[in-house]
Amino acid sequence: MGQCSNFYDEGKINVLNETQLWAIFDGTIVTLEIAIVAIIFGAIFGVVVALGRLSKNKVANVLSWLYIWFFRGTPLLLQLFIIFYAIPIIYLDATGITFEVNPMIAAFVAFSLNATAYLAEIIRAAIESIDGGQMEASKALGMSYRQAMTKIIIPQTYKRLVAPLGNELIMLLKDTSLVSTIALFDLLRTTKTMASATGSWIYYIYAAAIYLFLTTIIQVVFDIMEKKLGIYER
Amino acid sequence: MSMVKLVNVRKSFGDLEVLKGVNLEVQQGEVVCIIGASGSGKSTMLRCLNQLERISDGEIYIEDVLSDKRANNKDLMKIDPVTVQSLCTELGMVFQNFNLFPHLTVIDNVTIAPLIVKKTDKKIAETRALDLLSMVGLSEKKDEYPSRLSGGQQQRVAIARALAMDPKIMMFDEPTSALDPELVGEVLATMRHLAEKGMTMLIVTHEIGFAREVADRVIFMDGGVICEEGTPEEVLLNPKEERTKSFLNKIL
Repeated sequence: MGQCSNFYDEGKINVLNETQLWAIFDGTIVTLEIAIVAIIFGAIFGVVVALGRLSKNKVANVLSWLYIWFFRGTPLLLQLFIIFYAIPIIYLDATGITFEVNPMIAAFVAFSLNATAYLAEIIRAAIESIDGGQMEASKALGMSYRQAMTKIIIPQTYKRLVAPLGNELIMLLKDTSLVSTIALFDLLRTTKTMASATGSWIYYIYAAAIYLFLTTIIQVVFDIMEKKLGIYER
Repeated sequence: MSMVKLVNVRKSFGDLEVLKGVNLEVQQGEVVCIIGASGSGKSTMLRCLNQLERISDGEIYIEDVLSDKRANNKDLMKIDPVTVQSLCTELGMVFQNFNLFPHLTVIDNVTIAPLIVKKTDKKIAETRALDLLSMVGLSEKKDEYPSRLSGGQQQRVAIARALAMDPKIMMFDEPTSALDPELVGEVLATMRHLAEKGMTMLIVTHEIGFAREVADRVIFMDGGVICEEGTPEEVLLNPKEERTKSFLNKIL
Protein backbone atom coordinates (compact mmCIF):
# COMPACT_ATOMS: atom_id res chain seq x y z
CA MET A 1 0.00 0.00 0.00
CA GLY A 2 2.99 2.28 0.45
CA GLN A 3 3.35 2.67 -3.27
CA CYS A 4 -0.01 4.35 -3.57
CA SER A 5 1.28 7.74 -2.45
CA ASN A 6 3.36 8.36 -5.53
CA PHE A 7 1.06 7.45 -8.41
CA TYR A 8 0.83 11.03 -9.52
CA ASP A 9 4.59 11.63 -9.56
CA GLU A 10 4.62 10.72 -13.21
CA GLY A 11 1.81 13.08 -14.18
CA LYS A 12 -0.90 12.25 -16.69
CA ILE A 13 0.25 9.21 -18.52
CA ASN A 14 -1.65 6.29 -19.88
CA VAL A 15 1.09 3.74 -19.77
CA LEU A 16 1.59 2.29 -16.32
CA ASN A 17 4.89 2.88 -14.62
CA GLU A 18 6.42 0.23 -12.42
CA THR A 19 5.05 1.67 -9.17
CA GLN A 20 1.54 1.77 -10.55
CA LEU A 21 1.87 -1.70 -11.96
CA TRP A 22 2.86 -3.06 -8.56
CA ALA A 23 0.06 -1.13 -6.88
CA ILE A 24 -2.46 -2.61 -9.28
CA PHE A 25 -0.91 -6.03 -8.77
CA ASP A 26 -1.20 -5.66 -5.00
CA GLY A 27 -4.81 -4.52 -5.36
CA THR A 28 -5.58 -7.51 -7.53
CA ILE A 29 -4.04 -9.80 -4.92
CA VAL A 30 -6.21 -8.25 -2.19
CA THR A 31 -9.28 -8.78 -4.35
CA LEU A 32 -8.35 -12.37 -5.14
CA GLU A 33 -7.38 -13.23 -1.58
CA ILE A 34 -10.71 -12.11 -0.17
CA ALA A 35 -12.74 -13.88 -2.85
CA ILE A 36 -10.81 -17.14 -2.54
CA VAL A 37 -10.78 -17.20 1.26
CA ALA A 38 -14.52 -16.47 1.26
CA ILE A 39 -15.41 -19.17 -1.27
CA ILE A 40 -13.37 -21.80 0.61
CA PHE A 41 -14.72 -21.01 4.06
CA GLY A 42 -18.15 -20.36 2.60
CA ALA A 43 -18.21 -23.82 1.01
CA ILE A 44 -17.04 -25.57 4.18
CA PHE A 45 -19.37 -23.78 6.58
CA GLY A 46 -22.06 -23.75 3.92
CA VAL A 47 -22.22 -27.55 4.09
CA VAL A 48 -22.59 -27.35 7.88
CA VAL A 49 -25.36 -24.74 7.73
CA ALA A 50 -27.09 -26.63 4.90
CA LEU A 51 -27.07 -29.85 6.94
CA GLY A 52 -28.46 -27.84 9.85
CA ARG A 53 -31.32 -26.65 7.65
CA LEU A 54 -32.02 -30.25 6.60
CA SER A 55 -31.63 -31.64 10.10
CA LYS A 56 -34.50 -33.01 12.12
CA ASN A 57 -32.92 -31.39 15.17
CA LYS A 58 -35.04 -28.30 15.96
CA VAL A 59 -32.18 -26.28 17.43
CA ALA A 60 -29.86 -26.87 14.47
CA ASN A 61 -32.74 -26.07 12.19
CA VAL A 62 -33.64 -22.77 13.80
CA LEU A 63 -30.02 -21.66 14.20
CA SER A 64 -29.17 -22.29 10.57
CA TRP A 65 -32.38 -20.62 9.46
CA LEU A 66 -31.56 -17.55 11.54
CA TYR A 67 -28.02 -17.50 10.22
CA ILE A 68 -29.14 -17.46 6.61
CA TRP A 69 -31.93 -15.02 7.43
CA PHE A 70 -29.47 -12.50 8.85
CA PHE A 71 -26.53 -12.80 6.49
CA ARG A 72 -28.61 -12.96 3.35
CA GLY A 73 -31.07 -10.36 4.56
CA THR A 74 -28.65 -7.55 5.37
CA PRO A 75 -26.19 -5.79 3.06
CA LEU A 76 -22.69 -7.20 2.92
CA LEU A 77 -21.41 -3.67 3.37
CA LEU A 78 -23.29 -3.42 6.66
CA GLN A 79 -21.81 -6.72 7.82
CA LEU A 80 -18.37 -5.41 6.95
CA PHE A 81 -19.03 -2.23 8.97
CA ILE A 82 -20.29 -4.21 11.94
CA ILE A 83 -17.13 -6.30 12.04
CA PHE A 84 -14.68 -3.51 11.32
CA TYR A 85 -16.26 -0.51 13.06
CA ALA A 86 -18.97 -1.68 15.45
CA ILE A 87 -17.27 -4.58 17.18
CA PRO A 88 -14.26 -2.54 18.43
CA ILE A 89 -16.68 0.06 19.82
CA ILE A 90 -18.80 -2.59 21.52
CA TYR A 91 -15.63 -4.11 22.94
CA LEU A 92 -14.45 -0.72 24.15
CA ASP A 93 -17.78 -0.04 25.84
CA ALA A 94 -17.77 -3.39 27.51
CA THR A 95 -14.16 -3.63 28.66
CA GLY A 96 -12.68 -0.18 28.36
CA ILE A 97 -9.90 -1.57 26.18
CA THR A 98 -9.36 -0.29 22.66
CA PHE A 99 -8.43 -2.62 19.90
CA GLU A 100 -8.37 -2.39 16.18
CA VAL A 101 -9.55 -5.02 13.78
CA ASN A 102 -7.08 -5.73 11.03
CA PRO A 103 -9.01 -4.68 7.89
CA MET A 104 -7.89 -7.72 5.94
CA ILE A 105 -9.10 -10.05 8.71
CA ALA A 106 -12.36 -8.12 8.88
CA ALA A 107 -12.81 -8.57 5.14
CA PHE A 108 -12.03 -12.31 5.33
CA VAL A 109 -14.53 -12.78 8.13
CA ALA A 110 -17.33 -10.69 6.64
CA PHE A 111 -17.05 -12.17 3.17
CA SER A 112 -16.78 -15.73 4.50
CA LEU A 113 -19.81 -15.33 6.75
CA ASN A 114 -21.80 -13.84 3.91
CA ALA A 115 -20.73 -16.45 1.36
CA THR A 116 -21.62 -19.17 3.87
CA ALA A 117 -25.22 -18.02 3.93
CA TYR A 118 -25.59 -18.02 0.15
CA LEU A 119 -23.71 -21.27 -0.35
CA ALA A 120 -25.70 -22.98 2.41
CA GLU A 121 -28.88 -22.37 0.46
CA ILE A 122 -27.27 -23.53 -2.77
CA ILE A 123 -25.96 -26.68 -1.09
CA ARG A 124 -29.27 -27.37 0.64
CA ALA A 125 -31.14 -27.11 -2.65
CA ALA A 126 -28.59 -29.39 -4.34
CA ILE A 127 -28.94 -32.02 -1.60
CA GLU A 128 -32.72 -31.85 -1.79
CA SER A 129 -32.58 -32.30 -5.55
CA ILE A 130 -31.01 -35.77 -5.17
CA ASP A 131 -33.64 -38.47 -5.64
CA GLY A 132 -35.04 -39.76 -2.34
CA GLY A 133 -34.43 -43.32 -3.52
CA GLN A 134 -30.71 -42.76 -2.99
CA MET A 135 -31.15 -42.26 0.74
CA GLU A 136 -33.54 -45.23 0.92
CA ALA A 137 -31.13 -47.51 -0.89
CA SER A 138 -28.32 -46.36 1.41
CA LYS A 139 -30.41 -47.05 4.50
CA ALA A 140 -31.54 -50.41 3.16
CA LEU A 141 -27.87 -51.33 2.81
CA GLY A 142 -27.33 -50.50 6.46
CA MET A 143 -25.63 -47.13 6.10
CA SER A 144 -26.10 -44.52 8.79
CA TYR A 145 -27.44 -41.08 7.88
CA ARG A 146 -23.94 -39.70 8.10
CA GLN A 147 -22.47 -42.40 5.84
CA ALA A 148 -25.28 -41.97 3.34
CA MET A 149 -24.74 -38.21 3.27
CA THR A 150 -20.97 -38.24 2.97
CA LYS A 151 -20.56 -41.20 0.61
CA ILE A 152 -23.74 -41.16 -1.47
CA ILE A 153 -25.75 -37.95 -1.38
CA ILE A 154 -23.21 -35.14 -1.11
CA PRO A 155 -20.84 -36.55 -3.77
CA GLN A 156 -23.76 -36.50 -6.20
CA THR A 157 -24.30 -32.80 -5.57
CA TYR A 158 -20.79 -31.80 -6.69
CA LYS A 159 -21.66 -31.49 -10.33
CA ARG A 160 -24.81 -29.55 -9.54
CA LEU A 161 -22.84 -27.26 -7.24
CA VAL A 162 -20.13 -26.28 -9.69
CA ALA A 163 -22.16 -23.77 -11.73
CA PRO A 164 -23.67 -21.91 -8.74
CA LEU A 165 -20.31 -22.05 -6.96
CA GLY A 166 -18.64 -20.39 -9.95
CA ASN A 167 -21.41 -17.84 -9.97
CA GLU A 168 -20.86 -17.11 -6.29
CA LEU A 169 -17.10 -16.79 -6.76
CA ILE A 170 -17.59 -14.27 -9.56
CA MET A 171 -20.04 -12.30 -7.42
CA LEU A 172 -17.59 -12.34 -4.52
CA LEU A 173 -14.73 -11.23 -6.70
CA LYS A 174 -16.67 -8.19 -7.83
CA ASP A 175 -18.13 -7.47 -4.40
CA THR A 176 -14.64 -7.25 -2.90
CA SER A 177 -14.65 -3.65 -4.13
CA LEU A 178 -16.69 -2.95 -0.98
CA VAL A 179 -13.53 -3.28 1.12
CA SER A 180 -12.37 0.14 -0.04
CA THR A 181 -14.66 1.40 2.74
CA ILE A 182 -12.51 -0.18 5.45
CA ALA A 183 -9.17 1.22 4.38
CA LEU A 184 -8.15 -1.61 2.06
CA PHE A 185 -6.70 -1.02 -1.36
CA ASP A 186 -8.34 -3.60 -3.56
CA LEU A 187 -8.15 -3.54 -7.33
CA LEU A 188 -10.96 -1.02 -7.86
CA ARG A 189 -9.86 1.39 -5.18
CA THR A 190 -6.27 1.31 -6.38
CA THR A 191 -7.23 2.11 -9.94
CA LYS A 192 -9.77 4.72 -8.88
CA THR A 193 -7.12 6.48 -6.82
CA MET A 194 -4.86 6.55 -9.86
CA ALA A 195 -7.65 7.82 -12.04
CA SER A 196 -8.46 10.67 -9.65
CA ALA A 197 -4.83 11.51 -9.17
CA THR A 198 -4.06 11.68 -12.87
CA GLY A 199 -7.45 12.61 -14.26
CA SER A 200 -7.22 9.80 -16.77
CA TRP A 201 -10.06 7.37 -17.43
CA ILE A 202 -7.77 4.68 -18.77
CA TYR A 203 -7.29 3.22 -15.31
CA TYR A 204 -10.91 2.17 -15.26
CA ILE A 205 -10.30 0.25 -18.45
CA TYR A 206 -7.34 -1.49 -16.84
CA ALA A 207 -9.54 -2.39 -13.88
CA ALA A 208 -12.29 -3.71 -16.14
CA ALA A 209 -9.76 -5.72 -18.12
CA ILE A 210 -8.34 -7.33 -14.98
CA TYR A 211 -11.79 -8.13 -13.57
CA LEU A 212 -12.79 -9.65 -16.89
CA PHE A 213 -9.57 -11.60 -17.10
CA LEU A 214 -10.13 -13.08 -13.64
CA THR A 215 -13.80 -13.87 -14.13
CA THR A 216 -13.04 -15.46 -17.50
CA ILE A 217 -10.54 -17.79 -15.85
CA ILE A 218 -13.12 -18.70 -13.22
CA GLN A 219 -15.73 -19.33 -15.88
CA VAL A 220 -13.45 -21.54 -17.97
CA VAL A 221 -12.12 -23.50 -14.97
CA PHE A 222 -15.61 -24.10 -13.61
CA ASP A 223 -16.89 -25.19 -17.01
CA ILE A 224 -14.13 -27.78 -17.19
CA MET A 225 -14.82 -28.92 -13.63
CA GLU A 226 -18.49 -29.34 -14.40
CA LYS A 227 -17.73 -31.57 -17.37
CA LYS A 228 -15.22 -33.63 -15.40
CA LEU A 229 -17.53 -34.15 -12.43
CA GLY A 230 -20.44 -35.15 -14.61
CA ILE A 231 -18.49 -37.99 -16.19
CA TYR A 232 -20.83 -40.60 -14.73
CA GLU A 233 -23.86 -39.06 -16.42
CA ARG A 234 -24.24 -40.26 -19.93
CA MET B 1 -36.91 -71.12 11.56
CA SER B 2 -38.96 -67.99 11.29
CA MET B 3 -37.06 -65.37 9.32
CA VAL B 4 -39.48 -62.48 9.61
CA LYS B 5 -42.70 -62.12 11.48
CA LEU B 6 -45.23 -59.32 11.46
CA VAL B 7 -47.77 -59.28 14.27
CA ASN B 8 -50.83 -57.12 13.84
CA VAL B 9 -48.90 -54.47 11.97
CA ARG B 10 -50.66 -51.22 11.19
CA LYS B 11 -49.26 -48.25 9.35
CA SER B 12 -50.88 -44.88 8.83
CA PHE B 13 -49.71 -41.91 6.85
CA GLY B 14 -51.60 -39.17 8.61
CA ASP B 15 -55.27 -40.07 8.29
CA LEU B 16 -54.62 -42.68 5.65
CA GLU B 17 -54.29 -46.17 7.07
CA VAL B 18 -52.31 -48.25 4.60
CA LEU B 19 -51.77 -51.38 6.65
CA LYS B 20 -54.73 -52.44 8.76
CA GLY B 21 -53.43 -55.29 10.84
CA VAL B 22 -51.09 -57.54 8.89
CA ASN B 23 -49.91 -60.88 10.25
CA LEU B 24 -47.25 -62.69 8.31
CA GLU B 25 -44.54 -65.17 9.08
CA VAL B 26 -41.91 -66.26 6.59
CA GLN B 27 -39.85 -69.40 7.14
CA GLN B 28 -36.27 -69.96 6.14
CA GLY B 29 -35.87 -70.78 2.46
CA GLU B 30 -39.43 -69.81 1.67
CA VAL B 31 -40.23 -67.77 -1.45
CA VAL B 32 -43.27 -65.64 -0.84
CA CYS B 33 -44.84 -63.62 -3.63
CA ILE B 34 -47.13 -60.78 -2.71
CA ILE B 35 -49.69 -59.66 -5.24
CA GLY B 36 -52.44 -57.08 -5.13
CA ALA B 37 -53.60 -53.82 -6.63
CA SER B 38 -51.55 -50.67 -6.16
CA GLY B 39 -52.39 -49.03 -2.87
CA SER B 40 -53.13 -52.36 -1.23
CA GLY B 41 -50.13 -51.97 1.09
CA LYS B 42 -47.71 -54.50 -0.47
CA SER B 43 -44.77 -52.16 -0.82
CA THR B 44 -45.47 -50.49 2.50
CA MET B 45 -45.30 -53.87 4.18
CA LEU B 46 -41.79 -54.50 2.79
CA ARG B 47 -40.68 -50.99 3.65
CA CYS B 48 -41.91 -51.44 7.22
CA LEU B 49 -39.93 -54.65 7.56
CA ASN B 50 -36.57 -52.97 7.06
CA GLN B 51 -37.81 -49.82 8.75
CA LEU B 52 -37.69 -47.50 5.79
CA GLU B 53 -41.12 -46.74 7.19
CA ARG B 54 -41.89 -46.94 10.87
CA ILE B 55 -44.98 -48.93 11.77
CA SER B 56 -47.77 -47.28 13.75
CA ASP B 57 -48.87 -50.39 15.65
CA GLY B 58 -47.76 -53.96 16.05
CA GLU B 59 -44.58 -55.99 16.30
CA ILE B 60 -41.85 -56.95 13.88
CA TYR B 61 -39.49 -59.85 14.46
CA ILE B 62 -36.42 -60.57 12.38
CA GLU B 63 -35.03 -64.06 12.94
CA ASP B 64 -37.20 -64.31 16.05
CA VAL B 65 -35.67 -61.15 17.53
CA LEU B 66 -38.01 -58.25 18.19
CA SER B 67 -36.92 -55.33 16.02
CA ASP B 68 -39.82 -52.96 16.60
CA LYS B 69 -42.91 -52.77 18.74
CA ARG B 70 -45.26 -49.83 18.65
CA ALA B 71 -48.73 -48.79 19.67
CA ASN B 72 -50.37 -45.62 18.39
CA ASN B 73 -47.09 -44.49 16.87
CA LYS B 74 -45.39 -44.82 20.23
CA ASP B 75 -42.16 -46.76 20.38
CA LEU B 76 -42.78 -49.24 23.19
CA MET B 77 -39.43 -50.95 23.29
CA LYS B 78 -36.96 -48.19 22.33
CA ILE B 79 -34.66 -50.80 20.87
CA ASP B 80 -31.12 -49.55 20.46
CA PRO B 81 -30.71 -48.17 16.90
CA VAL B 82 -27.49 -50.14 16.38
CA THR B 83 -29.35 -53.38 17.08
CA VAL B 84 -32.15 -52.36 14.75
CA GLN B 85 -29.62 -51.47 12.09
CA SER B 86 -27.88 -54.83 12.33
CA LEU B 87 -31.22 -56.67 12.25
CA CYS B 88 -32.30 -54.69 9.20
CA THR B 89 -29.13 -55.52 7.29
CA GLU B 90 -30.31 -59.14 7.42
CA LEU B 91 -32.86 -57.91 4.89
CA GLY B 92 -31.64 -57.05 1.42
CA MET B 93 -33.88 -54.81 -0.62
CA VAL B 94 -34.28 -54.39 -4.35
CA PHE B 95 -36.28 -51.38 -5.49
CA GLN B 96 -38.57 -50.80 -8.41
CA ASN B 97 -36.35 -47.95 -9.65
CA PHE B 98 -33.07 -49.78 -8.95
CA ASN B 99 -31.68 -46.78 -7.02
CA LEU B 100 -28.14 -47.57 -8.01
CA PHE B 101 -25.61 -44.95 -6.97
CA PRO B 102 -25.01 -43.07 -10.23
CA HIS B 103 -21.67 -41.58 -9.21
CA LEU B 104 -20.13 -44.97 -8.53
CA THR B 105 -19.07 -47.62 -11.00
CA VAL B 106 -20.84 -50.97 -10.98
CA ILE B 107 -18.23 -52.63 -8.80
CA ASP B 108 -18.13 -49.70 -6.38
CA ASN B 109 -21.92 -49.86 -6.11
CA VAL B 110 -21.55 -53.45 -4.97
CA THR B 111 -18.59 -52.95 -2.63
CA ILE B 112 -19.50 -49.67 -0.95
CA ALA B 113 -21.85 -51.02 1.71
CA PRO B 114 -19.57 -53.90 2.78
CA LEU B 115 -16.64 -51.46 2.88
CA ILE B 116 -18.21 -48.72 4.95
CA VAL B 117 -20.88 -50.57 6.93
CA LYS B 118 -19.19 -53.89 7.63
CA LYS B 119 -15.63 -52.54 7.26
CA THR B 120 -14.81 -55.49 5.06
CA ASP B 121 -11.28 -55.60 3.71
CA LYS B 122 -11.14 -54.03 0.24
CA LYS B 123 -9.64 -57.08 -1.46
CA ILE B 124 -12.22 -59.42 0.04
CA ALA B 125 -15.09 -57.06 -0.82
CA GLU B 126 -13.93 -56.82 -4.42
CA THR B 127 -13.50 -60.56 -4.84
CA ARG B 128 -16.97 -61.09 -3.43
CA ALA B 129 -18.38 -58.35 -5.68
CA LEU B 130 -16.85 -59.95 -8.76
CA ASP B 131 -18.37 -63.29 -7.79
CA LEU B 132 -21.77 -61.68 -7.41
CA LEU B 133 -21.45 -59.76 -10.66
CA SER B 134 -20.57 -62.92 -12.51
CA MET B 135 -23.55 -64.62 -10.88
CA VAL B 136 -25.84 -61.93 -12.31
CA GLY B 137 -23.90 -62.11 -15.59
CA LEU B 138 -22.35 -58.65 -15.51
CA SER B 139 -18.66 -59.10 -14.66
CA GLU B 140 -17.63 -57.39 -17.88
CA LYS B 141 -19.55 -54.26 -16.89
CA LYS B 142 -17.80 -53.81 -13.58
CA ASP B 143 -16.13 -50.51 -14.48
CA GLU B 144 -19.11 -48.92 -16.18
CA TYR B 145 -21.28 -46.29 -14.59
CA PRO B 146 -24.94 -47.27 -14.08
CA SER B 147 -26.11 -44.74 -16.67
CA ARG B 148 -24.40 -46.84 -19.34
CA LEU B 149 -26.43 -49.95 -18.46
CA SER B 150 -29.90 -51.01 -19.54
CA GLY B 151 -32.67 -51.16 -16.97
CA GLY B 152 -32.40 -54.92 -16.72
CA GLN B 153 -28.66 -54.74 -16.18
CA GLN B 154 -29.09 -52.01 -13.59
CA GLN B 155 -31.58 -54.12 -11.70
CA ARG B 156 -29.23 -57.10 -11.75
CA VAL B 157 -26.47 -54.90 -10.34
CA ALA B 158 -28.92 -53.79 -7.66
CA ILE B 159 -29.51 -57.44 -6.78
CA ALA B 160 -25.76 -58.04 -6.57
CA ARG B 161 -25.39 -54.91 -4.43
CA ALA B 162 -28.02 -56.15 -1.98
CA LEU B 163 -26.47 -59.63 -1.87
CA ALA B 164 -23.05 -58.17 -1.09
CA MET B 165 -24.25 -57.48 2.45
CA ASP B 166 -24.99 -61.21 2.83
CA PRO B 167 -28.62 -60.75 3.78
CA LYS B 168 -30.59 -63.74 5.03
CA ILE B 169 -33.74 -62.50 3.36
CA MET B 170 -34.11 -60.72 0.02
CA MET B 171 -37.03 -58.39 -0.51
CA PHE B 172 -38.02 -57.28 -4.00
CA ASP B 173 -40.36 -54.34 -4.42
CA GLU B 174 -41.83 -54.69 -7.91
CA PRO B 175 -38.38 -55.38 -9.35
CA THR B 176 -39.53 -55.60 -12.95
CA SER B 177 -42.23 -52.92 -13.05
CA ALA B 178 -39.92 -50.19 -14.37
CA LEU B 179 -38.43 -52.39 -17.08
CA ASP B 180 -39.12 -52.64 -20.77
CA PRO B 181 -40.89 -55.95 -21.43
CA GLU B 182 -37.92 -57.50 -23.20
CA LEU B 183 -35.70 -56.87 -20.15
CA VAL B 184 -38.00 -58.48 -17.59
CA GLY B 185 -36.82 -62.01 -18.32
CA GLU B 186 -33.16 -61.50 -17.40
CA VAL B 187 -34.10 -60.07 -13.99
CA LEU B 188 -36.58 -62.85 -13.29
CA ALA B 189 -33.94 -65.40 -14.29
CA THR B 190 -31.57 -63.96 -11.71
CA MET B 191 -34.28 -64.11 -9.05
CA ARG B 192 -35.17 -67.65 -10.01
CA HIS B 193 -31.52 -68.59 -9.60
CA LEU B 194 -31.52 -67.09 -6.10
CA ALA B 195 -34.68 -68.97 -5.20
CA GLU B 196 -33.13 -72.22 -6.37
CA LYS B 197 -30.13 -71.58 -4.15
CA GLY B 198 -32.46 -71.52 -1.17
CA MET B 199 -32.61 -67.79 -0.48
CA THR B 200 -35.55 -66.67 1.59
CA MET B 201 -37.41 -64.21 -0.58
CA LEU B 202 -40.28 -61.78 -0.27
CA ILE B 203 -41.35 -60.54 -3.67
CA VAL B 204 -43.93 -57.91 -4.47
CA THR B 205 -44.74 -58.52 -8.10
CA HIS B 206 -47.26 -58.31 -10.89
CA GLU B 207 -45.60 -61.17 -12.75
CA ILE B 208 -48.22 -63.82 -12.06
CA GLY B 209 -46.51 -66.43 -14.23
CA PHE B 210 -43.29 -65.97 -12.31
CA ALA B 211 -45.09 -66.15 -8.98
CA ARG B 212 -46.77 -69.38 -10.01
CA GLU B 213 -43.45 -70.86 -10.97
CA VAL B 214 -41.16 -69.90 -8.09
CA ALA B 215 -43.37 -69.08 -5.11
CA ASP B 216 -43.87 -71.49 -2.24
CA ARG B 217 -46.64 -69.25 -1.05
CA VAL B 218 -48.64 -66.47 -2.67
CA ILE B 219 -50.23 -63.70 -0.69
CA PHE B 220 -52.98 -61.52 -2.05
CA MET B 221 -53.27 -58.18 -0.33
CA ASP B 222 -56.23 -55.87 -0.57
CA GLY B 223 -57.14 -52.76 1.39
CA GLY B 224 -54.22 -53.05 3.78
CA VAL B 225 -54.82 -56.63 4.89
CA ILE B 226 -53.80 -60.07 3.70
CA CYS B 227 -56.95 -61.18 1.98
CA GLU B 228 -55.91 -64.64 0.89
CA GLU B 229 -52.83 -66.77 1.07
CA GLY B 230 -51.79 -70.24 0.09
CA THR B 231 -49.84 -72.18 -2.49
CA PRO B 232 -49.66 -70.67 -5.99
CA GLU B 233 -52.23 -73.26 -7.15
CA GLU B 234 -54.64 -72.33 -4.41
CA VAL B 235 -54.40 -68.56 -4.72
CA LEU B 236 -53.69 -68.10 -8.41
CA LEU B 237 -55.62 -70.96 -9.95
CA ASN B 238 -58.43 -71.59 -7.48
CA PRO B 239 -58.91 -68.42 -5.48
CA LYS B 240 -61.60 -68.60 -2.85
CA GLU B 241 -62.06 -64.93 -2.16
CA GLU B 242 -64.15 -62.78 -4.49
CA ARG B 243 -61.61 -59.96 -4.31
CA THR B 244 -58.79 -62.26 -5.37
CA LYS B 245 -60.85 -63.56 -8.28
CA SER B 246 -61.73 -60.10 -9.50
CA PHE B 247 -58.10 -58.92 -9.19
CA LEU B 248 -56.77 -61.91 -11.12
CA ASN B 249 -59.44 -61.44 -13.77
CA LYS B 250 -58.34 -57.88 -14.28
CA ILE B 251 -54.65 -58.59 -14.73
CA LEU B 252 -54.64 -61.90 -16.55
